[in-house]
Amino acid sequence: MPRYRMLIDSNKCYNCGACIVGCQQRNSVPYGYRRNWVRVDADPDYGFGKGFQPGGCMQCDAPLCVEACPTQATWKGDDGVVLIDVQRCIGCGACIAACPYDARYRHPERGTVDKCDYCASSRHLGIAPACVQLCPAQVRTFGDASDPSSEVAQIAAQQTLTYVESPQSPTKPSLAFVGATTVTNWPRAAALPSPIAAMRVVATGVRYLGALSLFGVIAMFFKQILIPSDDKSGAEIHTPASGKGEKP
Amino acid sequence: MTMIRRHNQSAICMHWFNALCWLFLLGSGFALLAGEMQPIGAWWSELWVGIFGEAGLLVAHIAIGSLWAGIYALYTPLFLRRDVLPFLREIFAVSLRCDLIWCIRKAFWLVMGASGMRKIGMQTQLPAQGFYNAGQKFVAIAAIICSISLVVTGLLLAFSVMQQGLEALVRWALLLHLCCAGLMAILLPVHIYMAACAPGERPALISMLTGFVPEDFAKHHNPLWHASLVEKAGEHNRH
Ligand code: HEM
Repeated sequence: MPRYRMLIDSNKCYNCGACIVGCQQRNSVPYGYRRNWVRVDADPDYGFGKGFQPGGCMQCDAPLCVEACPTQATWKGDDGVVLIDVQRCIGCGACIAACPYDARYRHPERGTVDKCDYCASSRHLGIAPACVQLCPAQVRTFGDASDPSSEVAQIAAQQTLTYVESPQSPTKPSLAFVGATTVTNWPRAAALPSPIAAMRVVATGVRYLGALSLFGVIAMFFKQILIPSDDKSGAEIHTPASGKGEKP
Repeated sequence: MTMIRRHNQSAICMHWFNALCWLFLLGSGFALLAGEMQPIGAWWSELWVGIFGEAGLLVAHIAIGSLWAGIYALYTPLFLRRDVLPFLREIFAVSLRCDLIWCIRKAFWLVMGASGMRKIGMQTQLPAQGFYNAGQKFVAIAAIICSISLVVTGLLLAFSVMQQGLEALVRWALLLHLCCAGLMAILLPVHIYMAACAPGERPALISMLTGFVPEDFAKHHNPLWHASLVEKAGEHNRH
């Protein structure tokens, strides 16, 4: 099983936007939405006084979006890509709130969540993701990191990598920057909407109380076989019916 | 042995249809949830996904849920006077103090028997019950409230995907959906035990198949109901 990974050399980027447009075209991303981006930050060390940092879903190894999803609609695949099953997604947006990179959006027509999947729709044809293919400056390198002969594995082995990660909500991003990059601590703290947080508490309660109820009645079943409660019919201990509104 | 009618055929059919749907919906619904929001465990989801497939499980859950809600939407108005209103009248005939005493004493009786209760200085007499006993009334009230909430939130979850701006509502609907399903998952083992396995309850279980209970059983287990039947029969004879 390949383990896909993307490395970005942001120092080569001059913000032409081909990666964004190419991605939108290939993945039919609706107008006004995007799966990837180029951040522009004031940085005197770079030409024009601005530093560019291309990005997208960081395909994290500890993805908070996956933890936040209540319906198993998103998961980290064995191939290293965080995927969405649109048939299981109910569009609750919990994963959008949980992603410190804001790498997800709710599709305005489908209502389900969408994000970068390294162009999964064209990968089986052996075509690289659109952002990699269309970048004129070869900013992005993509490949199978588990194959030591791949370009991505060799860069990772030979060069210093920089990770952009939220200080409050670390997620172990697998996407990394080659050498230095502009700003590294911009990702926000992950948020978990309160009803979704409450679902965890409720599920824990249901687990323990449900087990108590189930095993309680099973125990009672065997108890009644082994040591039946005296007065088997229960009739003797009923108060007799002497009309309505009777008090015990 | 004189037998008296306890449940109509229509109510019996609906009870078993309802029970099968509930068990399927609870099982498949919990299997649809993820991670820490899943009350049973990952093996439960794997089991159901193995049977129905990833997408098939959600389709099956929505299909059975819609069938269940659809059949009730037809049954409720058609059998309103015959089954539904009498049922609602019986289950909401709650007298909180008496009913709580009944539940507590019944539980103690099951655990330690009448002699054990006497030993710890507890009264063993159960307050006289009507058509349904206190435990049945509480389960039935919970089932009605949870069913209505589950239908409303279920419809919202199934049809809100196409709407923009409903994300927050969807999240609250999902929480409420889980709360109602969870409450019933806790109560149903008790209901099933009390109805099918508890000592002395066999005639009630048989009545959910044949519709009839022995008069003697009704007299001891549901004395207020029995008394009202006797009273009605007396009035009938007088006219
Ligand atoms: C599959 C196992 C089940 C068995 C053996 C069972 C058995 C019974 C029996 C025997 C009665 C009649 C009690 C009487 O006439 O005094 C009853 C009533 C009832 N059952 Fe079930 N039942 C089952 C599952 C369910 C489920 C899943 C529900 C869903 C909510 C349910 C809801 C009710 C309600 C609302 C009543 C009427 C009130 C009450 O007795 O609580 N039952 N059941």
